[in-house]
Amino acid sequence: MRTQNATAYRFLTPYLLIFAIFWIWPIISSFIISFQATRTVPWRFAPTFNWGRLIGDPAFYNALKNTLLILVIQVPVMIALAIVMAVLLNSPLLKARGLYRFAFFAPVVVGEVAYSAVFRLMFSLDFGIVNKLLESVGISKIDWFSNVTPAMALIMIAVTWRWAGYNAIIILAGLQSIPEDVYEAATLDRVSRVKQFFYITLPLLKPVIVFCAVLSIIGTMQLFTEPFLITERGGPGGGTETLGLLLYRQGFRSLNFGYASAVAYTMAGLAIAITLVQLWLMREPK
Amino acid sequence: MAAVTLTNVVKRFGIFEVVHGANIDIADGEFVVFVGPSGCGKSTLLRMIAGLEDISGGDIAIGGKVMNDVEPADRGIAMVFQSYALYPHMTVEQNLSFGLRMNGNPKADTERRVKRAAEILRIDELMQRRPKQLSGGQRQRVAIGRAIVREPQVFLFDEPLSNLDAELRVQMRVEISRLHKELGVTMIYVTHDQTEAMTLADRIVVLKAGNVEQIGAPLDLYDDPANRFVAGFIGSPKMNFLSAKVVETTNSAAIIELAHHGGARLRKPLCETFPAVGAEVVLGVRPEHFFEAGEGDCDIPVKADVAEHLGSVSYVYANAGPEELIVEREASRQRGSGDHFTVSIKAERALLFDKAGARIR
Repeated sequence: MRTQNATAYRFLTPYLLIFAIFWIWPIISSFIISFQATRTVPWRFAPTFNWGRLIGDPAFYNALKNTLLILVIQVPVMIALAIVMAVLLNSPLLKARGLYRFAFFAPVVVGEVAYSAVFRLMFSLDFGIVNKLLESVGISKIDWFSNVTPAMALIMIAVTWRWAGYNAIIILAGLQSIPEDVYEAATLDRVSRVKQFFYITLPLLKPVIVFCAVLSIIGTMQLFTEPFLITERGGPGGGTETLGLLLYRQGFRSLNFGYASAVAYTMAGLAIAITLVQLWLMREPK
Repeated sequence: MAAVTLTNVVKRFGIFEVVHGANIDIADGEFVVFVGPSGCGKSTLLRMIAGLEDISGGDIAIGGKVMNDVEPADRGIAMVFQSYALYPHMTVEQNLSFGLRMNGNPKADTERRVKRAAEILRIDELMQRRPKQLSGGQRQRVAIGRAIVREPQVFLFDEPLSNLDAELRVQMRVEISRLHKELGVTMIYVTHDQTEAMTLADRIVVLKAGNVEQIGAPLDLYDDPANRFVAGFIGSPKMNFLSAKVVETTNSAAIIELAHHGGARLRKPLCETFPAVGAEVVLGVRPEHFFEAGEGDCDIPVKADVAEHLGSVSYVYANAGPEELIVEREASRQRGSGDHFTVSIKAERALLFDKAGARIR
């Protein structure tokens, strides 16, 4: 090995050690644990113990259903909203663009607990501003926390509020990388602004949109904070329990590490599978 | 086909005026090149003709109709951009037909126009490729093809060859020239490269800092520049400028003495604008107008610094006192660094400019 490379590796060693101990080993270890019965002492190798339970567990299917529901409804809505926000932010007609950019990005910076507490207050049955507003326009107030459908809607609204601006900023970067003369050429071709958006902007933004969608899918598969803090541990009655919450409940409340590991690998597998399908669907034609 | 007329066209960006009242008449079917250094306003002028920039003052007429407030798509123009501006996600065929398809043009007519453009530019075999699968020259052809399918009255080219290598640039230059002959439409072409301007144009518009310096046929500009800027900008290598002084006048002529060359003198015919005795002037001599010693009206000894041998001719970069001269020689292959030789200037081949740069003639 050349001296220069050896020196570089010596500098990298502390990080690589930490990476190996706290990242690589847990990944391998949890895979092994998922094949072990961890409710007995000592733990024993039982390949079908956790995976067999997973296949027949109604709580798993409930969490999977909730997670996929959020994925299917919230992610497309959020991405669409992010595109609209990015286009508005990119408009030369908009004044104080920097301020809006900051405002849209700010939710990501806000602490999760603080934002969850605020959302609980805003959507409170009797004191929340949302219900007050609904009542002011003649709509009866909604019990966001006691019924499954409003609770799921609340989770989706909260996640969208938190991440739409973040995605909008990424999409804005993509928008700004499209050369202006392409639009000028289209203008000379008598292509309307609306058609320019659908036939030029959207296709050219495809890689960025795919990137945002993949990030969002991975994020949704791991969704934990909102159902834990806003709807109080996946309430009402597990109606908003996600796979992330199920994992937490099994691993850290019931101390069933084997089953939690199996759930974790299922989540990762699903995220990879959905992402691959999406990448395949949105691939560049040859 | 259409004539293009610019009348007192002004462009301001905020408080900065970048085009100061341009007046240009372009005849129907003419190939006109706007040339000038960076920032002279040539691209801005072109974009104003296209409608991509608003006009701050004056009128732009195409085919006799004032177009100031007409949408770009309704001006009967097509533009080829410096960066090609092809739609990267579309095939060549889709690039060519996009505008027509979006406007509901009949399919058969769209196919006919695309086919014709492809044949003219010999890009038939590239139709299913995407821009990233094309070379620079092929992309440029597609960009021109996209302009052709619009069947415009006026073609606008904004430095279309500047991203190509030297060899391809020459090739595309010939192709654009051929295209102009074939289509016979008005073409306005912007470049900072005077060689492109000289080889392509019916007429050249020389711009400097937002002002039109001179309009004329390429050789007219070369032989008879209106001022020192045009004389220096048109021609490669550049014209040589030698400091001089008017030392004597007679009824019909003035005697000019070169400032740094041992009192070498030239006699120039007198004219109305000739400065008085004692005025400082500048003598302009093209590299090919330095003759062998004794052949001209005054001789200047020079010392060769660097020689560029291009095969048919050589350019010798020489020092003559404090002035640097470029001398063209057909038979100077052996001339090398440090050689001393003498060049001669003929009065009728030397141009005279006053101190402000205006031509004295």
